[in-house]
Amino acid sequence: MAEGEDNGEFYLRYYVGHKGKFGHEFLEFEFRPDGKLRYANNSNYKNDTMIRKEVFLTPAVLKECRRIVSDSEIMKEDDNNWPEPDRVGRQELEIVMGNEHISFTTSKIGSLMDVQTSKDPEGLRIFYYLVQVHLIAELFSSYDFQ
Amino acid sequence: MAHAEVETVDFEPDDDDLMDEDVGDGSPSRAGTIPRLKSAITGGGSSSTPKKTKGRGFRDEAAAEADRSARMSARFDSLDSEGGPGPERSIEGWIVLVTGVHEEAQEDDLQNAFGEFGEIKNLHLNLDRRTGFVKGYALIEFENFEEAQKTISEMDGTELLTQTITVDWAFSKGSFKRRNIRRRSPRGPRSRSPRRRF
Repeated sequence: MAEGEDNGEFYLRYYVGHKGKFGHEFLEFEFRPDGKLRYANNSNYKNDTMIRKEVFLTPAVLKECRRIVSDSEIMKEDDNNWPEPDRVGRQELEIVMGNEHISFTTSKIGSLMDVQTSKDPEGLRIFYYLVQVHLIAELFSSYDFQ
Repeated sequence: MAHAEVETVDFEPDDDDLMDEDVGDGSPSRAGTIPRLKSAITGGGSSSTPKKTKGRGFRDEAAAEADRSARMSARFDSLDSEGGPGPERSIEGWIVLVTGVHEEAQEDDLQNAFGEFGEIKNLHLNLDRRTGFVKGYALIEFENFEEAQKTISEMDGTELLTQTITVDWAFSKGSFKRRNIRRRSPRGPRSRSPRRRF
């Protein structure tokens, strides 16, 4: 099946957040098709200020992101049976790859135990590990530019 | 399909102090095609082939969507550069991306392979949390442009621990043309002699 690995669009957006006593705390980033990475991290705990950064990535980086997404096979999954977002929190994962566009929502996942006891442990596990990709976004946005 | 309870989280757009004033951040308006993306990616024009869609996110309420677009249209700190392709320098140096890294590679392997080009200021070798193995890419930071450029020229397409690696810049001054992606080989058609900024 052609997942448009090296051609076609690639876009990835991930959001995790909740509204609690410290306000709307969230982390969100976007890998855009033109190479722009936008990253936002808002934690009101102790009045931290919002971090919002954007940098441009090279095609080499996007290609690697595509590979990671493709290897995870998340595009084959569905969020039908995943826990719905709730008061504790919300996650969103939106990916465009080739001619497929997914937009999944689910609640926060505290641990693998939550994954294993869900109605779709296989799919949710893939989601859980893939969104570690937020570490990639954090890494890229942690570099300072002048 | 259970549609009624899709939104139990209360996101009120007016509660958001995220919304900075300059909404005209360059976020392109949404394409009118269905389905729309939550935040604005390249508006109309680019590939408009209909997409197969999947997921609850397409059934979201307007409030969540408004909140989302507010988050993404606010002002972001960005580079003060004239844009366009060409590598970008971080404050401390120049960062190259290595992909195709063998999953059992260690930092020492990279240090040995790349350290001859110059002093490595920073090295990130991410692990796959699920497998414990290397995720396949590494970021290496050199102080000088020449060191990074030489690394790219000499190491791209070579073998490391029996696997072929690619080596390229990680950050760019601006967006790259979409055409380049389609016919891109590891070396790419675009120029590798960017302006240096110190």
